[in-house]
Amino acid sequence: MLESLWVVLDMHFHGFLRATGVTLQLTFVSLVLAVVIGLIFAFLKLSRNPVANLLSHAYIGIVRGTPLIVLLMFLYFGISSIVVLSSFWAGSFALAIHAGAYVAEIFRGAIQSIDHGQHEAARSLGMARRTSMRLIILPQAFRRAIPPLGNQFIIGLKDSSLVAFLGVSELYSSAMTAAAANFRPFETYLIAGLYYLVLVLIFTVLVNQLEIKLSPDRRTAT
Amino acid sequence: MNVIETRNLHKHFDELHVLKGIDTAIAEGEVVVVIGPSGSGKSTFLRCLNFLEIPDEGSEILLDGEPIDPARDNLDKVRERMGMVFQHFHLFPHKNVLDNITIAPENVKGVPRKQAKAAARELLEKVGLPDKEKAWPSQLSGGQKQRVAIARALAMDPEIMLFDEVTSALDPELVAEVLQVMQDLAAGGMTMVVVTHEMGFAREVADRVVMMDDGLIIEEGTPDRIFSEPAEERTQAFLGQVLHA
Repeated sequence: MLESLWVVLDMHFHGFLRATGVTLQLTFVSLVLAVVIGLIFAFLKLSRNPVANLLSHAYIGIVRGTPLIVLLMFLYFGISSIVVLSSFWAGSFALAIHAGAYVAEIFRGAIQSIDHGQHEAARSLGMARRTSMRLIILPQAFRRAIPPLGNQFIIGLKDSSLVAFLGVSELYSSAMTAAAANFRPFETYLIAGLYYLVLVLIFTVLVNQLEIKLSPDRRTAT
Repeated sequence: MNVIETRNLHKHFDELHVLKGIDTAIAEGEVVVVIGPSGSGKSTFLRCLNFLEIPDEGSEILLDGEPIDPARDNLDKVRERMGMVFQHFHLFPHKNVLDNITIAPENVKGVPRKQAKAAARELLEKVGLPDKEKAWPSQLSGGQKQRVAIARALAMDPEIMLFDEVTSALDPELVAEVLQVMQDLAAGGMTMVVVTHEMGFAREVADRVVMMDDGLIIEEGTPDRIFSEPAEERTQAFLGQVLHA
């Protein structure tokens, strides 16, 4: 069995590597968009404007209440009479819209978790609301958001496998094709799983590094 | 010349009537210590002075003789002229000590970085922490944090300093170093309003002691007068409790 594992790995190593590149592109593009979307909707949800509030609640409610695969199919096939998106972009947008809702909640929670005294101290120094948010609240909130954000990014990386159903040749799609051709689904999916696992592990290390880098006062955190 | 003056200052929090008409004036260079039982409205009074709490309609607050209208005036500009120090310090944990002090002058007043840093170092010297500029707030003791907070407020070059129970969260052995800085500040001519339970400080440093209870100033006078012959029964009762505690 170990031998056949090597054979399959040998056969698909480069193909899977190329597919991994596509997976990473999907993940990267969608997560950058998700952070932008998430930040916007976090602010909308925190806003005192009732319309902005409603909008944010509706978006988060709808996305959390529907499966990602439905959103993927909807963006690729469902709206093709209005906009035709390439499979890559339909996939990226769907992943971004999906993750954006969770990222919005992460940011909202992180912003709200910052002690109100921080804001008051900033205001008492003459900072405008905006300045206080930019210089005092957000930097602290970002740092606090990193662990749950990292978690969400890992979910996003794995969710990108669903884009296989739009025909994008990312890692999972390559695994499906390979397994169908080599009749070795056990080895093939095992290897695909390992590829994902390695990606997630690398990513976890990077997130940890980022957290340390953004916490210069970490030595005696209170 | 009065730096700040309040007329008929009222404040409600929903149904709760916290301030019930405060009329007072604080002259330039004056050190006013506000005492009173908890819940008497001392902190709310202080927070209304710099509009961290917006007073009820009809209340008047005058800064340098100019009435401030919270609906119309830019309160950020008003707050620039008043320094505030809080019970729980509220230093910015993501900034080191020097940047805690320079962040407002640089970003609110547009003071060049170099100049802001030089001023901050001077202030650190003044509060006795010249060697802490690179430290993080989390590395400081409570007394050091509070001294940095005072320096941070002073960096905006305020006309008046507001102190809200600034020693209440400190370990007893750290109280003196903070009071010393405040005393130096008073000696330097700073106009100060100090809410505190430190009666020794009130006695030594205050020009005037204001006794609040139930949202009103019930008595005020020189520390000598208030502490040795309080006129009001409630003042007597309060002082009896805190001085013999």
